Amino acid sequence: MAAYIINLITLMSINAILAVTLNFIMGYAGIYSMAHAIFFGVGAYTAAFVALNFSASFFIAFPIAIIVAAILSLILALPALRVRGEYFVAASLGLQVLGVTIFSEWKSFTGGLGGIIGIPPVEIFTYEVINPLEFMLLSLVCLLLIVGYIAVLSKTSFGRNLKAIRDSESAAYALGKNVAIIKTLSVVISSSLAAVAGALYAVYLGFINVESFTLDTSVLLMAMVIIGGAGTMLGPIFGTVILMLLPSLFSYMWFLPQTEIGSIQQIAYGAAMVLLMIFRPGGLVGSSKKQEAK
Amino acid sequence: MLFLQLVINGLQVGALYALIAVGFSLIFGATKIFHFAHGATFTIAAYVFYSLYSVQEVHWVLSALVAGLAAVLFGVFLDKCVYAPIQRHEGSFFTLFVASLGCGIIVQNLIGIIFGRGFVSVTTPLSQSVELFPGLFVSPLSGIAIICAVLAFAVLQTFLMKTHIGMALRSLSENPELIRVYGLSPRQLSSIVFALGSLLVVPAAILSAASSGLNPAMSHHIMLISLAATIVGGVGSLRGAAYAGLLLGMSENIALLYLGPQWSEAVTFIVLFLFIMFRPAGFFGRAIAS
Repeated sequence: MAAYIINLITLMSINAILAVTLNFIMGYAGIYSMAHAIFFGVGAYTAAFVALNFSASFFIAFPIAIIVAAILSLILALPALRVRGEYFVAASLGLQVLGVTIFSEWKSFTGGLGGIIGIPPVEIFTYEVINPLEFMLLSLVCLLLIVGYIAVLSKTSFGRNLKAIRDSESAAYALGKNVAIIKTLSVVISSSLAAVAGALYAVYLGFINVESFTLDTSVLLMAMVIIGGAGTMLGPIFGTVILMLLPSLFSYMWFLPQTEIGSIQQIAYGAAMVLLMIFRPGGLVGSSKKQEAK
Repeated sequence: MLFLQLVINGLQVGALYALIAVGFSLIFGATKIFHFAHGATFTIAAYVFYSLYSVQEVHWVLSALVAGLAAVLFGVFLDKCVYAPIQRHEGSFFTLFVASLGCGIIVQNLIGIIFGRGFVSVTTPLSQSVELFPGLFVSPLSGIAIICAVLAFAVLQTFLMKTHIGMALRSLSENPELIRVYGLSPRQLSSIVFALGSLLVVPAAILSAASSGLNPAMSHHIMLISLAATIVGGVGSLRGAAYAGLLLGMSENIALLYLGPQWSEAVTFIVLFLFIMFRPAGFFGRAIAS
């Protein structure tokens, strides 16, 4: 039981990192990305590659994963600069699809559909983090650092600029804000921090394949942010905890067909999204009155 | 000969994409609702047709009619029970999009539970390809797809241009307030738009079921096509969406000369990406760049 809870908390903190970073562009910058799972994947594959071939050190594999994701995120930033929210959804959806194709086709780097096995555990100064409890602490520390960083960032002028762009891009532009640079930076920050989650995931499980980085993951992350409350600090974490508890909750309900748990979980959060949008668009944590995020 | 074969396949796929894209573009243009569940409408129509025609062995005309009815009901239901309540308190793009996405997820998984997550195919007497020239296989479905698309667009064009309701629908995208002044109800018109847009995907759903089979997850592909075609064609331009659908179907097939079939969605994305970067207004649309 203890092992189960430790595993659940570890996976929750990894997913919470993804939800918090997605919320950073969705809730604060108004960039609705359906390609967040791609940067999760980029982080995971890069960390796995570095850990297998060079060094499994936390201070080498993780920064490389972050840098690679940051560079690749510029591909996402380009269309985000050209078009407004609605159309960007299409571009990111396309990028998600393209990314999955590349993950499953580039066999020498990603191992294709079979994935990569035998990823060594992460080392912090020659100390190998194998003990699940220690790894849980490591993921929680990463989550706290990222949440703290984003909380600080959203209080700075940069964060206020982001919200200004979200609420009215034209007005922000008219006030002399450099919309292009602010948007690009927000995408780069969000994607590179998502790579941290990917790297944690890869060294934790020791095995990754393309299944973890599909559109379903991106949609699930979006659901976590929305159900918790986009544009709030605690909302995405709250949403992550709820959505990750769902499958175990459903497996306690003996009357549900156990082979369909995955589908039932998806139906549950699909329905939650619809009902929330009708009755409480701010999400569970967000304000119940008029939604702040546009 | 391979090239000619791919061009013919491209025309068939393109005609179906055009139907799908015009349906989405019609809804998005007139109501400004980002109808992400349009892909779900497609899957519903296709699976209703499959379960009637292939499983229950009902006559194809009746199966097609029921599939059409199911699609229209689903579209109008979403408009009345999901979008209308949201629009009553606030109608931001994001809220409508999320609600629509949620509906899409529900439908996809329900279909997965009912029919299984695997691949099913619908065999019709017309699915069989005929060898016209040595090495050139053409199925009668290609011709039917193209004729269906052309007919549907001719009817739609006449409806929008000549009839009273059609004119009201066009003005809905321009100025909903003025419609109210004329004593028409924008809500009612919106339901008509949803019925029309949903009806347009039905022939595409049936023909793709008959030519390439179905699976519950295909709604994502349909959405990618609809969105890409709407942007490439220019938002608000039905003619643009139709041409863009044709272009996407064509490029997907011509690309098979150089790339494996698993890259077909990537090709769609590259076309979309190029348009967003170099011509965000699309073929005929107004500028959408910030």
